[in-house]
Order: sequence, then C-alpha cells, then structure tokens
Amino acid sequence: MSRHDFPISRRTLLRGAGAALALPWLEAMAPRAALASGTASAPVRMAFLFMPNGVHPKFWTPEGTGSDFSLSPTLEPLADVRDQITVLTNLWHRNSNTGDGHYVKTSGFLTGTTINKTVGIAINCNGTSVDQLAAQRVGGATPLPSLELGTEPVSSGVDTNVGYTRVYGSHIAWRGPTQPLAKEINPRLVYERLFRAGKGSADAAREGRPLLDLVLDDARRLREQLGTTDRQKMDEYLESVRALEQRLERADSPEMNAWQPRAELNPKARPAETIPESHAEHVRLMLDMIVLAFQSDTTRICTFMFGNSVSNKNFSFLDGVSGAHHSLSHHQNEEDKLRQYQLINRWHVEQYAYLLRRLSEIPEGNGTLLDNSMVLFGSGLRDGNRHDPHNLPLVLGGRAGGRLQTGQHVVCGKDTPMSNLFVSMLDAFGSPVDQFADSTGPLKEILASS
Amino acid sequence: MRYVVLPLLIALTCALPAVAEVKPLSFDRTKTLLERYCTDCHNTDAPEADLDLTVYGTVDAVVAARPKWEQVLHRVRNGEMPPEGSDAPTLDERDELVEWIETALRSAACAGPPDPGPSPIRRLNRSEYRNTIRDLLGVHFDAAHALPADGAGGAGFDNAAETLFLSPVHAEKYLDAAREALDYAAKDVRSRKRIIIARPSDKLSADDAARKVLSRFALRAFRRPPSDEEIDRLLSLYRQAADSGSPYDDAVMYAMQAVLISPHFLFRVEQIPAGTSPQPVNDYELATRLSYFLWGSMPDDRLLDLARKQQLHNDDVLKAETLRMLKDRKSRGLSESFVGQWLGTRSLGVEYRPDPEVFRRYRPELESAMREEPIVVFLDILRENRSLLNLIDADFTYVNFDLARHYGIHKQIEGTLRQQLRRVDLPEDSHRGGVLTMAAVLAVSSYPDRTSPVLRGKWLLENVLGSPAPPPPPNVPELSEDDEAVKGKTLRERLLAHRANPTCAACHDRLDPLGFGLENFDAVGRWRTKDNDQPIDASGTLPGGATFNGPDELKKVLLARKDETMRHLTTKMLAYALGRGLVNEDYCTVDQIMDRLAANDYRAQELILGIVESVPFRQHRGRDHGQPSTTDDAPEMTEESTP
Repeated sequence: MSRHDFPISRRTLLRGAGAALALPWLEAMAPRAALASGTASAPVRMAFLFMPNGVHPKFWTPEGTGSDFSLSPTLEPLADVRDQITVLTNLWHRNSNTGDGHYVKTSGFLTGTTINKTVGIAINCNGTSVDQLAAQRVGGATPLPSLELGTEPVSSGVDTNVGYTRVYGSHIAWRGPTQPLAKEINPRLVYERLFRAGKGSADAAREGRPLLDLVLDDARRLREQLGTTDRQKMDEYLESVRALEQRLERADSPEMNAWQPRAELNPKARPAETIPESHAEHVRLMLDMIVLAFQSDTTRICTFMFGNSVSNKNFSFLDGVSGAHHSLSHHQNEEDKLRQYQLINRWHVEQYAYLLRRLSEIPEGNGTLLDNSMVLFGSGLRDGNRHDPHNLPLVLGGRAGGRLQTGQHVVCGKDTPMSNLFVSMLDAFGSPVDQFADSTGPLKEILASS
Repeated sequence: MRYVVLPLLIALTCALPAVAEVKPLSFDRTKTLLERYCTDCHNTDAPEADLDLTVYGTVDAVVAARPKWEQVLHRVRNGEMPPEGSDAPTLDERDELVEWIETALRSAACAGPPDPGPSPIRRLNRSEYRNTIRDLLGVHFDAAHALPADGAGGAGFDNAAETLFLSPVHAEKYLDAAREALDYAAKDVRSRKRIIIARPSDKLSADDAARKVLSRFALRAFRRPPSDEEIDRLLSLYRQAADSGSPYDDAVMYAMQAVLISPHFLFRVEQIPAGTSPQPVNDYELATRLSYFLWGSMPDDRLLDLARKQQLHNDDVLKAETLRMLKDRKSRGLSESFVGQWLGTRSLGVEYRPDPEVFRRYRPELESAMREEPIVVFLDILRENRSLLNLIDADFTYVNFDLARHYGIHKQIEGTLRQQLRRVDLPEDSHRGGVLTMAAVLAVSSYPDRTSPVLRGKWLLENVLGSPAPPPPPNVPELSEDDEAVKGKTLRERLLAHRANPTCAACHDRLDPLGFGLENFDAVGRWRTKDNDQPIDASGTLPGGATFNGPDELKKVLLARKDETMRHLTTKMLAYALGRGLVNEDYCTVDQIMDRLAANDYRAQELILGIVESVPFRQHRGRDHGQPSTTDDAPEMTEESTP
C-alpha cells in the first residue's frame, strides 16, 4: 500500500503548484472573479503601517489646513491619492513621553500606553493595541482575525544601555498587556497562510481535530499544575491551539461558515520562497500581501512594520543616501544627514502611496477597496533626533466605507491624544468604544459629516 | 570602628540558620564617603545618570538594588567615578568604598540558605526546536524554517523563558512543521527505522507494536517516561487512523503528530516539588537541563538511560557526562547560540550589514567565515579546556582562505587553507587573537560604512567588561562625530572637543579611548594604518590612568582586568544555562565559579562544570516558595511625565 492510500488527507496544499514566480501584481493577483461583492455591503478594513525612527520635521507638515493644503516634500508621493488621505497634525502619545529611546514609542504606538521598563521579566505594555481590540470584536467574521507583518525578525538581544528588551522595539501589535504578536516577514509564508486560511477543507479538519483535542486536553491538565506566570504561558498555548481549531471547524461546517472569499487567491501569484535581497522589493511584496488579504477578505485587520525601531537598515540603495536609517535619524541638524533622512522618509511615503494606489485600483461595490479601507501610516516619534512623541507624523488613507472625510489636512489642538484617533477609527470600523487609553473623546474632524 | 552591626542585618542573619560566614557590615563610614564624593551629583533633586545615592539607608536597600550598585562598584573601582575635575577620594578611601560594596553584595547573595531561584516553564525556542526535531527524528531538515524568530530577555539570550511568547500563529506553524518533518522522516529509510522501532508480526499485534513505538517516541519527545494514560490516548489516535484504513506506519506517525504539538514536547516542564524548600530536580529534568544547555537540543539515549537508572545526579557521573557532551559535535549548539548572542555577531548580515557600496570586496562567503570564527574559537577553547582568557587575547584563531586573506595573513600560514575554517597559529605581528580583533566583532560594532570609536567602546563596555554606559541624558543629543563646529578636525580631535563638556565626558571618557584602541581596524575588520590618508592614532588613556597604544596593548589592559571580564562572562553563561535573567541569589553561584576559575587558570571546562554543579542548575524551588527574588531586571513602571 502506498502512503497515498491514507484516507485522512495528507498535506497537499501548495504542493506541485509549479515554480514560484514573482509576477507583476496586476497580472498575477487579479481576482478570478469578484465573488461576493455587490450583494452584501463591503466590509471596512483597517491597516496600520509603522515607520521606524521618526521624520525630518521641517519637510513633513503640509502647508495650509482643511481641504486647502499642499503636500510637503516628504508627502509629495501621495499626490495622486491626495483626495483619499487625511494628514494629521498635533496628535501625540502622552504615555510614551517617557523612557529612553524608542521602545515605549514603538510598543505604545497602537496601545497608547506606557510599557514596563524591563529586559524581560514581567514584560508588559499595559494595554491592548487598537488593531487587536478590533480583532477581538470582529475578527471572527474572517478566517484570520488579523495579520501581523514586518520585514525584520525580532531584534536580537536586550538594550542594556536603556534597560529594555528589544522585544518592545519589534512589536506594535499586542493581543494583551503581556502578549506581543509575532510578525511574519516572509511574503511566501504570508501567502500560504492566506491561501490555507481561505481554503480550509473538510479533510484537513477531520485529520487535525483529534490531534488538537488531545493536546488541548494535555494543556488544560498541565495548566492546573502550574503557578500563575507559567499559567499565562499555557494560556497563550491554549489560545493558539483553539484559534486553529476554530478555523478547522469553520472549514468543516458550512453552517458555521458564513464567510465567503470576496476574491479567489491565485496560486500562481505566490511569491518566491526566499525573502528578496532587496528591501524595496521585500516591502512591496509585503504590501501586496495586505492587498490580497483585504481583497479576498481573509482578514480585515493588518499591521505592518517597515522595520523594527532603531532599525539600522542600510538605505544606500536610494540615490543620494549612503547610510543606515537609525544613525541618519540622529541627524544633529546637519544638513547632509537631514537631507538623507528626508529621502528615507520620503521613500517610506512612496511605499505607502503604492499601497493606497493598489487598493484604489480594485473595484469593490460601488467604489474601490481603498474606499472601504482605512490605512494609517506613521511613526511613534516625530524628530528622530529627539525621540519626541509630540505632533506625531501621521497620515490616514481611505474612507472606511464613506465614514471618513478625506482630502484634508487636519490640524488638531496642540497635544490632542492620538488615542482620540483610535476611538474614531474604531467607530468607523463598526466597533465603537467609549474610551481608548488616554483618549478624551472622538476625533470628529476625520469623520464624514452625515 | 569599621564594622558596626546593623540591627536589620542581625534580624536577617538570625532568621536564617546555617548561614555562611557573614561579616557584619557598617554602612556609616560608607555613607560618609558617599556624601563627601558622590551625592553632590547623585542626589534626589537631579540624579545624574538616574542614580540617587541618598535613598539607600540600609545594607538591605543596597542589596535590593544590586544592578545599580554593581555599576557603582565597577566605576568607583576603575577610577571612573568621581569624574575628573571633581573631588577625588584618596586611594585608601576608594579601596574602602569598593571593599564595602563588594562585601555587601557578595555576602548578601550567599547569606541565606541555598536558593535556586525561579525555574519557569519554557517553550523551546526556534533553534532548540530545530535541533530537537533533528535529533528526535534523525532528519537533516530545518523544521523551524517557518517559525517566527524569538526575542531576547534577561541577559540577552533568546532562550529566556520570560520572552518566549506564543502567538496565535504558532499552533498552525507547529502543526505544519510536525507534518512536514514526519513526512520527511517517512521518506528516509534510516530515520524511519529510528522512530518506528516495532512493526506488527506473528508475535506482535499491531496494537502492541504501536504501543511500543509510541512509548519510546513519547519518552524521547517528552524527555521523561510518558504515563500509561498518555500512551493510551496516543494509541487511540493510532487506532482511529488504522481503523479508517491507514497503513501501520502512517497511522503511528499520525499519532506522532500529536506528540510534536503537545505542550509536553514544545515546553520544558518540570515537576515542582511541594513545600517551601528547594529540591534537586529529578534525573530526567537534569538530563534535559544539561542537554539544552550544552547542545541546545534534547537528551540523547545515553542521558535518558542514565536518568532511568537514576545515576545522572551522582557527582562523578554528572561530571563525566558534561565532559562527554562537550566533546560531542552537538556542543556546537552551545557555542553558536551563546557566542553569537553574547558578542552580537549573530546579527552580522541580518541587522548589521556592511555597506556594499563602500566595501565592494565584501562577499557572503567572507561574511559566513567571519560569523563562524568566534563560534569555532570558543568551541576549541571549550573542548580543549583552554583558558578563557584566550577570548581576550590568544596566539591562535580559526580562519579559512577568505578570512586569512581578509586579515592579510594568508601568506604567512603554513599548509593549505580551504573553505572550512581551521585552527592556525597567528603570526607575531598579526594583531589578531581574542574576540576583540575578530572581523565579525569589529563589523557589528561599526556603522555600515565607517568605524565609530564610540560604538566600539560601547560594545566593549557592554559585552566584555559588563559595564554598559547609560544613554545620553534627556535633551542632550547623542554625541556627534561630525558637528559643524569641529569640521575639518580629525575624528579624535572632534571627539575630544565634545569631551570638554563634563556631562558628555562622564561617559565618553570611558567609551572613546577603548574604541580608539581598535581604530586600526576598518568597519569590516581589515587592518589599516591610515584613515582618509591620516595616520591612525590608536592610543588612549582610561579613567583611572591605564594607557595603551593600539589593539595589542589594549588587550593587555583588558587582561589585567580579568576579574571584570571573567565575571561578566560567568554571569552571561549562567544566565544562558538557566534560561532566565539572574536573581540576587545567583550571584552566590557567580562568586563561587569566579573563585573556581581563578584557582584553575580560568580553564573553560571549570566554568561549565561550575554551572552544572551549582544550586540553581541542579535544584528547583519548592512550589510554596514565597519570597520573590530581587532581580537584575526588577521591572519598574516608567514614570509618567507631565505633559
């Protein structure tokens, strides 16, 4: 008897699908058919793009306010999606105005909280990030509650100079105060995950469930024998296995699975197995994965870190730049460093513009995928030279299904909590909260007048 | 009157029976010295370097803030504090202060009954998972390739229990990895034979054969004998598959999938004894602690067998096994993981990439050799039981052709050099030997396109001397190396100009000279005598007066400070072995190992044996151990500042 006789299906997904090709996006990834659009109203998606190391402040803020504004040199790549964005000025994170360096400004970027100063023991960000809050409320509607992406693995070591573990500088998505979410940095693995999540089969469920039942049972028994801290670890394990179990169940039971992909993923579109050498190509592929995830409705929530904070990614691949990101961000007001720093900022904005354009090219309902999304781009500190969380550089793109007003430069009152933005984003997302971290109310200026 | 017994200390010592000899300590004299020389700057109003020396009223308070006082100790001993220009204590006063702090910290660590510190459950990290699957299934296959990387905690290693999180994505990845690895094993005849140790026959029913296979597999995977119930449950998985028509091999391998995603496999779990007093770990747990420390992988059959016979904990057996394991090729797991993270050279090519525009002859092959050098040198020191001081300075290293040419010594080396690194005696004038002058270290402590004495000094203080510099005070920009005001001057002149500012000088007086000592090496570690057509000046004077010129003399200075360098290495290795940040009690172990090293010419195996035989390695706390430990890493809420 050959192994193929095994009646519980072996893993065949993504096997033999031919050589991996990185085809141009439009060709390869165009949906075969718009499946569910048109009938139900399109869901709202949210993405958060984190750029490490701040911006050159002088070239960031646009001139003019409201709809009458002109893009700054750094924001200029957004020209052709200008109508689709809101530039935000004067928002800040009060709680990250502490601690040395970048760590609080990274882990606190989407939580609005202060983190515990530690190189490991009792690591705690004292909050839940806005994406995860949304995922916990509506994540069940899609195969994946959320997607955490990046380009760099967790930075190694602990920063003994300031007394923080670099885990803090490598995560913006926090499922809870003590659980940073691992990010995927390999585009191919993201693709496979999306593909599998959307394509669950009854066979896979039948094969997987008895295994998961057994280990869940193991974990529950083990948990009883453990002390508090250890239980926390076992809870993480239990949650992780349950999440997988739910997905298998969903695949196996049509009545549980109201979800339909809005567009099929094309296996030919999967990225090459290895991470591209070129940072630019790597970033583009990761952004493509966000588009795929949103387009297919495999998830509606995504975070992406262009790099970890303090990232010293070498940007000499850009014309006019000959150095590493973090060291250039400590520009000391030297003209040459500032010039290079700004070029790096601008490159990030270009990538953001690319994502917005991609989303805007995909029709959905009566508009585009971008119309149904909100994509926040920004950094956890303003001037990289100063580690200052005042007046954070932020742009919000997309109209969240018409709930957001775009094509404007919103200048808030000085030191308006960035958490107010999160309150309004959650509102637009359809999962409103009264309060988020240090919020003092909604950020009405970004909402469309109804 | 030097020693006046503090009431608090009496209370402490009386409460604890069987105390090692504790010198009664007086804080009064020390306080006088602190007030005279330190608290002008380190006070409550504006504590320099975030250090307020006025808040410590008792010896206990000092001990509770161990990390801070270890730094005070370092800096006072080396004459770095008080800074130049302040009132300086006499040599005797300095000695007095140093001795007091040292005694306070050291005796407190060993004061109580032996406390092994916490031993939290710990997920296998990515490389441990990879190695474990390799050894469990006997496959040469990277089962961890799709797992997310792990962050580091405690002493900076990615095996720290506290930072080994599990995300929702993990379960999916583990299940995939288990299937992939078992698929791979199924196709490999040798591996299949290794794990499927019984098949149904005339004499053996299929059920009994499966029971045999799964019992053995679970024993090796769980690193302890599985319970009957555990085996029954696995067997029921086997039967489910077999009943639906799966062939025998496939059906047992289906049950093995459950083993590979079980928390008993993915986590290292110990049976914590009841009561308050510490107990020795059982022999299986000891085998597991040993194997993950020395191999970064699961125990082999021999260790499991010694555990079954309950012999491993015998001192002679434990020592013999430790030495056997160091000789085994798998001890590369220790060297690769420990050295790569201790020196930061693991991130060469990942987080630190030399600029290809500037270093056009820099190739991936050379980079691999650079990354490999410290790993194999450390392994050599370990296996041959050489002095650990070889890490500071040595007359040998390991190179291949690429690396030898990079070092400019390829013509002086006898014999053939190939792709594989091999041991070579260093030529007299090579300026190499020891980790400081290894290309990988010199590269990761540079910018991608140029060297930085500041970065190198910072690297050295942090990783070799164990005395990291604090960050620049708020609102003082980091020291610039190309400020407008000092343009046109050499880097040395520019840095010197900055050190005219006392706030900057306090740290940069320590950082910069160390870095300048290595200026003869460029940002990828090549030797040079000029930079931008200027001759290199690699001389320096350290606070406290030690002077040197160039890397060879710098190494001599560091060799003379072996108490610091070896102590730092010991704390690092102990934290790595325990998989957690150190707590106060662990410093007792550190002190014991330091004594042992000093008495044995700093032989590498003494360090390993000292750890393996120590209380925290061989014991765990009772379940009802109440006292929280003071840690290296006492978490603190950073204070919210007013907007």
